[in-house]
Amino acid sequence: MHSFKTLENLKNSYSERIRQIADERKSGKKLVGTFCLFVPDEIIFAAGADRVILCGGKNDTVSIAEQYLPRNICPLIKSSFGSIINDGCSGIKSCSHFSMVDMIVAENTCDGKKKMYELLEDYVPTYVIDLPQRPDTSEALKYFISELEKFRDAMEQLTGYKITDEQLKEEIRFSNETRRLFHRLYELRKRDPSPISGTDVLKILQKQYFLSPDKLKEYLQMLINEVENIEPGQVHKPRIMISGCPMPGGNTKVTEIIESKGGVIVAEESCTGTRSFWDLVDESKEPMIALAERYIKIPCSCMSPNNRRIDNILELAREFRVDGVIYYTLQFCHGYNIEKQKVQKALKEAGIPMLSIETDYSDSDVEQIGLRADAFMEMIS
Amino acid sequence: MISVGIDAGSATTKAVLVKDDGSTVHSIRATAFDFVSAAEKAYEDVLGIAEIDRKEVDHVYSTGYGRNSIKFADRSISEITAHAKGVHHIYPDVEGIIDIGGQDSKVISVNNGKVTDFLMNDKCAAGTGKFLEYTARALEVPMEELGKIALDSRSPASISSMCTVFAESEVISLRAKGYSKEDIAAGLVESIARRVAVMARQIGLKRNVAFVGGVAKNAAIKAALEKELGISLYVLPEPQITGALGAALHGSN
Repeated sequence: MHSFKTLENLKNSYSERIRQIADERKSGKKLVGTFCLFVPDEIIFAAGADRVILCGGKNDTVSIAEQYLPRNICPLIKSSFGSIINDGCSGIKSCSHFSMVDMIVAENTCDGKKKMYELLEDYVPTYVIDLPQRPDTSEALKYFISELEKFRDAMEQLTGYKITDEQLKEEIRFSNETRRLFHRLYELRKRDPSPISGTDVLKILQKQYFLSPDKLKEYLQMLINEVENIEPGQVHKPRIMISGCPMPGGNTKVTEIIESKGGVIVAEESCTGTRSFWDLVDESKEPMIALAERYIKIPCSCMSPNNRRIDNILELAREFRVDGVIYYTLQFCHGYNIEKQKVQKALKEAGIPMLSIETDYSDSDVEQIGLRADAFMEMIS
Repeated sequence: MISVGIDAGSATTKAVLVKDDGSTVHSIRATAFDFVSAAEKAYEDVLGIAEIDRKEVDHVYSTGYGRNSIKFADRSISEITAHAKGVHHIYPDVEGIIDIGGQDSKVISVNNGKVTDFLMNDKCAAGTGKFLEYTARALEVPMEELGKIALDSRSPASISSMCTVFAESEVISLRAKGYSKEDIAAGLVESIARRVAVMARQIGLKRNVAFVGGVAKNAAIKAALEKELGISLYVLPEPQITGALGAALHGSN
């Protein structure tokens, strides 16, 4: 596959960003750490703070977390917790940004994360946004708006700035532009063969949670220009969609295996995928209401019922003309693991083959996943 | 056309040579430490039996756990595809395959020789040949005898641990409680059958199901699986070679 200059440049973006954050903090700007797409960035930025997402994708900090957390919870929770509380004594290094946040803004999603946040409070000031988990009722929306209002107050307290509706609207416009850029990138992946690998797209999807919003936009624009201008390929490869758990920064294990076996990933129904940008915020509405309406609809498996996700998967599978779906779950992620049944049934009815892969961040199962991927490619080719 | 399939499994290496007229010869060897030399020897075995020179062979296809280390193979395919091809060749009406091998178990749904769905257990030894090997040891019977002994049981002991290590200690505590060898053996057999039957049901295997892999030689496990699934299973006289056969046939197509 083509090698993109933007992705080469992206490799240097980490140290640049760390320098930027350090400078910002020196000048008094606050850094907020979040985990989840349910926390509206717009409110953080409107308060004059910066933000990084703290979802861990590295395997080596898992063992630090296991001193405090049960072994049988998902690796994302363990890796994140381990990265944040790491004091470096064990010789394992966390990425620098984990220790730079002034406040964590968490959210009540799955049980594992909720309880982990309670422990996290002892290390970093942690604010939790409550989420109604039956999202399609009017009461739920009302409640979520009230939770976001409280969060807005908390952010004002942190930074000392008043968040005006005008500023919120400006942030919404800005974030929507980024979302539209992602849509443009994904639009290019509808070509057959896709001009860009899923592993390459994942790299920028992961970086969106770390870069500053304007830098992200710059990189996205550059990548789109590059992808638009490359010669179309000739060889059809099986078109694969990933659906399920997030693949946080540091983890490209599964996409690399799948693409080394001859497939190409053309879409990801995931938090490192469409869930981060698919729906825009309505710019014509009152900003807090528009934000609540957009964010509460994110089809995370912590929601019940979550038929919106099934519909979204089928819609994406059709739009991106996928030959098969890889249902990707992290070990012990009960929400996505159980929801697999419904997804499998819906895909079967639609005649789309699905392969389920349950894994963690270690490399111990690379061969086993490889065999499944081999057999799946042989099956759908 | 002469083609050879090599199935480099974790416990045994199998080679099948398919001649011009469609007749076959095969060899089964312990894999031991060195995948490559086991594959090389199995290859030489079938060449010798068939009295064919290496140069006359048109294709060598590899499959199995060590499929990518066999450099003399022209190509490799997954053992899932290989089993489907091999079993379909022998039983053209096959719709499902249960494969219990040395370190994994698989269930495969097949339509006209093509894989339509599959599931694997390779995360732990539960439901694999390894489970039998370890628990037979705790029972102090040779693994080959375990099945025979189990068939003599009238009231199988209940073994609830799926984990091989815990099942081993469960066997020891059942021994201490005075259970007979036969009943414990039957309990072990039932526990594997239950585990594998769950996988088979998950992908909807209902009829025309073949049982392959080394463990298919165990009559007690076959019987327990049949009871658990409520169907009778096809078992070849030599159930270990369908992967290698499928690989050879894949090469000749």
